[in-house]
Amino acid sequence: MPPALRDLQAAFAAQLVGRDSADLASAVVGDSIPADARLRVYRHHVGHSLGAALAATFPTVQALVGDDFFQAMARAFVAREPPTQPVLAEYGVEFPAFVAGYEPAQGLPYLADVARLDWALNVAFHSPATRRLAAADLAAVAVERLPSLTVGLSDGAALIGSKYPIDRIWHASQPGTSTDAVDLAAGRADLLVLRRADDAFFVTLAAGEAAFVAVLIDGNALELAAAAGLQADAAFDLSMAFARLLGLQAFAALQQDGDRKVVKAS
Amino acid sequence: MKPVAGIGLRSPHLAEIGRDRPATGFLEIHAENYLGGSTAFLTIERLRADYEFSVHAVGLSLGSVDGLDEAHLARVAALVKRLEPACVSDHLSWSVHDGRYFNDLLPLPYTEEALDVVARNIERLQEALGRQVSIENPSCYLGFAHSTLSEPEFLAELVRRSGCGLLFDVNNIVVTAHNLRLDPRDWLSGLPGGAITEYHLAGHAVNDCDGQAILIDDHGSRVGDEVWTLFDDVIRRYGVRPTLVEWDSDIPELAVLLDEAARAGRMIQAAGADAARAA
Repeated sequence: MPPALRDLQAAFAAQLVGRDSADLASAVVGDSIPADARLRVYRHHVGHSLGAALAATFPTVQALVGDDFFQAMARAFVAREPPTQPVLAEYGVEFPAFVAGYEPAQGLPYLADVARLDWALNVAFHSPATRRLAAADLAAVAVERLPSLTVGLSDGAALIGSKYPIDRIWHASQPGTSTDAVDLAAGRADLLVLRRADDAFFVTLAAGEAAFVAVLIDGNALELAAAAGLQADAAFDLSMAFARLLGLQAFAALQQDGDRKVVKAS
Repeated sequence: MKPVAGIGLRSPHLAEIGRDRPATGFLEIHAENYLGGSTAFLTIERLRADYEFSVHAVGLSLGSVDGLDEAHLARVAALVKRLEPACVSDHLSWSVHDGRYFNDLLPLPYTEEALDVVARNIERLQEALGRQVSIENPSCYLGFAHSTLSEPEFLAELVRRSGCGLLFDVNNIVVTAHNLRLDPRDWLSGLPGGAITEYHLAGHAVNDCDGQAILIDDHGSRVGDEVWTLFDDVIRRYGVRPTLVEWDSDIPELAVLLDEAARAGRMIQAAGADAARAA
């Protein structure tokens, strides 16, 4: 009795993740190349191609640990969290958390944060090009309303904080960079990941700026965000920080209603 | 689309093509690489002014017994609507089972049951896109003992039932024929040549498998001599069509890829001229 297609695909899928089945092998024509060797071609390709997809999304992690280590880690991840849809640029959201718990990587405590940075850069790169807030847009907002103004971050923007200097680690692991040792004691880094015309990038924020952005990301008004900035750093300068972020095109355009600007005020 | 030779558009070449607009017949993209609204997609949209496009999907999993992933199908349909490509295609294979995506073109048994499944999935795809799609013969590393149809018979029946076109990958049949001990010219004689809408060309690797040579469809080198020879036979037998050169691993300088496409273009011209003389 030949296998039903449903059963055949179930057995084949199990074989791809390492569970061999005598029934499946007996359904395959073998000759001088036996059936199980033929099946292994597919298993090998699936593992290799998904590992390559993860390496493309997490290039800094791969550069830090080397290809062999990365591929072993990727295989373990794929076994636990296989892709559920075919757009591989969207595969790997759980990878940073997996790296954090991956026993062989425990000697690299910053690795999971670097993975979060790689993921954020990947998300920013694939985010849509929506309109950004420009200085001219603010001219229409009455000065007395500015404190209660809510400005969202642009699509794809993310704030990545780490106890480790992952900005320096990232730069040191870029291809063609002379590998100066990074002092892990250099302390925490707060990075703002953004999309720009043709790629994604990040800037390092001062502590006050990071606190300011963190409150804005949660949908709070400028006034509250500014207070958080000051609390984090007494030297926080709201107008300088705001001008810097505006120049980076970090904010989404204000919501529009026809020609009239509707400014969300809390 | 005219019977010209084009190239598979890969991200390392995107900036150069956007800047220099080199001459080539058309550009083919993998649908799954342009579904996220990235800057790369905007570059593609700008290139539409200068190039015809073809959309090649790799993840619709037309052979899945559970049917198509409707969410993914909707995204591919939206891409096709925006790009209005000359040709849309995917493979005679499956890659999804029980919600897991395997990123490979997995083989089907060529049975009546599989025929029903694939024909139904193609019909659903054509309905969602509102157009004909073409189905590509996959590279195979194994065959199933319970297959009752040959691959060309299976493809011919899909054409008859669903009205789909065929994307004939010349490299894939060289790979499959070697691995499954078939004669590529026998295989070809069973194919409904009139349904072919596009040809694919690519390089393959020769690997060792338990001491035996097995051909691997890695798209990682220049097109092999055997593939060029068979391509010349095919276009003289079934006629010239838009022809794509693909290169997906160890991607070379753009000039190398364009050179391969130019060679295909010269063969198309020669075959076309000979056919016109004979007519």
